[in-house]
Amino acid sequence: MSASPDLLDPVDTLIRDHLRERAQATLKRRQFVSGLMTFLCWTAIAIAAVPLIMILFELFKKGLPYVTSWAFYTQLPQQPTLFDQSHLGGISNSLIGSLAIIGYSCLVAVPLGIGIGIYMAENDTKPAQIMRTVIATMVGAPSILMGLFAFGFIVEQLHVGFSILAGSFALGVMMLPVLASATELAVRNVPPTLREAGLALGAKPSTTSLKIVLPAAITGIVTGCILAISRAVGETAPVLLVIGGTVSAITYLPSQPGNALPYQIYQDVISNYDSQKNQSWGIALFLVIVIFILSLSARIWAARKQKVRR
Amino acid sequence: MTDTQSGPMGAGVSIAHGMVDPEVEDPRLGPTAMSLRDVSVTFNGRTAVRDVTFDVPANKVTALIGPSGSGKTTLLRSLNRLHDLTKGARVSGQILLGDTDIYNGGIPTTVLRSRIGMVFQRPNPFPTMSIYDNVVSGLRFNGVKKKAILDEAAESALNAAALFDEIKDRMKAHASTLSGGQQQRLCIARALAVEPEVLLMDEPTSALDPISTKKIEELMVDLKKRVTIIIVTHNMQQAARASDVTAFLLMGEDGAGEQIEVDATLKLFSQPSDPRTLDYIQGRFG
Repeated sequence: MSASPDLLDPVDTLIRDHLRERAQATLKRRQFVSGLMTFLCWTAIAIAAVPLIMILFELFKKGLPYVTSWAFYTQLPQQPTLFDQSHLGGISNSLIGSLAIIGYSCLVAVPLGIGIGIYMAENDTKPAQIMRTVIATMVGAPSILMGLFAFGFIVEQLHVGFSILAGSFALGVMMLPVLASATELAVRNVPPTLREAGLALGAKPSTTSLKIVLPAAITGIVTGCILAISRAVGETAPVLLVIGGTVSAITYLPSQPGNALPYQIYQDVISNYDSQKNQSWGIALFLVIVIFILSLSARIWAARKQKVRR
Repeated sequence: MTDTQSGPMGAGVSIAHGMVDPEVEDPRLGPTAMSLRDVSVTFNGRTAVRDVTFDVPANKVTALIGPSGSGKTTLLRSLNRLHDLTKGARVSGQILLGDTDIYNGGIPTTVLRSRIGMVFQRPNPFPTMSIYDNVVSGLRFNGVKKKAILDEAAESALNAAALFDEIKDRMKAHASTLSGGQQQRLCIARALAVEPEVLLMDEPTSALDPISTKKIEELMVDLKKRVTIIIVTHNMQQAARASDVTAFLLMGEDGAGEQIEVDATLKLFSQPSDPRTLDYIQGRFG
């Protein structure tokens, strides 16, 4: 590429020499700045990571004995007494309750959220713009608000009472904006030339969306779903307000009051007994593991799909 | 051939001279596949293409050439109504497919687009589908379900696109496992499978290496028996090698693409009647 020096214009040579001199003169300084910046970056990472590692360490130290015991998952919680604090039972009802609440909320929120997302991605009309604003606001809304809404609407207005349905409703409303915006992004990221290819083959616009655009966006959509679910699993505030929290039985029907993992943590922490307080670490660790597995599987799945694509 | 010696050939442009006398065999004398009458395309009132009028001969290759911004692609996309998707886009004038006015003749766009296929600038096979599913996708979108028909159409289209022998053992493989050139031929097969009358090609080789490009150019000559081809190309050699008729567009004063000259390719490249065509094919601009 480079021309031999004698072919260069004298002015070019002058500029070139000047640039080389400058590069040489500032080399030490630039190397120092580069080193300093690298050091600062690592310091920032360390500062951010230390508390996180401490939390995880504490969590594993206190929670591991619970998580590794089978009875923890199969038994109902028991109220400890002053004389016998050791009989705590397990978390079977909150485990089933959480599954039921998440399941019911997904049943409605997933198809609805995906539908809204597709609509927003494919339309630039006034209603779509309004929808986008509403969704953006909802993403940032505090979760207790959803609980309050579920309380006012399901518990009181519809007279369902404290119930799994109310919890599902609250979590569903929370998941909706996350799902919708993830779907919108995923659909928008599908190259427009794919849609054009479909239309150019004589496919109807709706067929094109359903058979070409949606499958091409599915990785992003599923990742969005998993992330929305993992967020909802640990959500406490809205659930706390409306599900009631039974301790004596396993419940899973929408109309029944129920228990949930974050709720059980809350109940344990406010307990008077140290043994019960300690159990909350076990539930917390279990939740963290579940969320970790969920988000990890979302990442692995997305990466594998991406590889197939290439 | 006097005109070959005196003819102003552009840099590197070569045609097989002496085989056809352009005065005798004008490729436009046969039946016409499409007619453009005063076709203009505007985007939000700004004119991108103005008053294009020419006939596209059936079972020939018609090339649209011209520098960037001359409206070649815009014009091509008006031929299968792809501008319908763009807000603010308006196509005026008349475009006939056979006797049917494609904008005002009451023909549904889905039907129109299955009669006028399209191949895009970059290979765009459907990434989630297998090779086989890609080829038959157009038929499936149009409601064909019988496996026997789909199989036959797939084989025929892949053969026509000179791809069948290369991929017949891995029809179920993902389309993304093919090379760029193979992907583009897959896109050609996909377009051919619905048996269109006209095939629009929007710079189909601009993203491909020279060998893949050569294959597609050779393919176009074979495909003429089956479809009428309209190709947009930046590459004058390509137009000279592969097309029968060439339309030269140029950006006018106000930025709108205008038709400068339409003629038999041999004639246009050897004896252009407009000095601007001469400048362009000699590489003086664009």
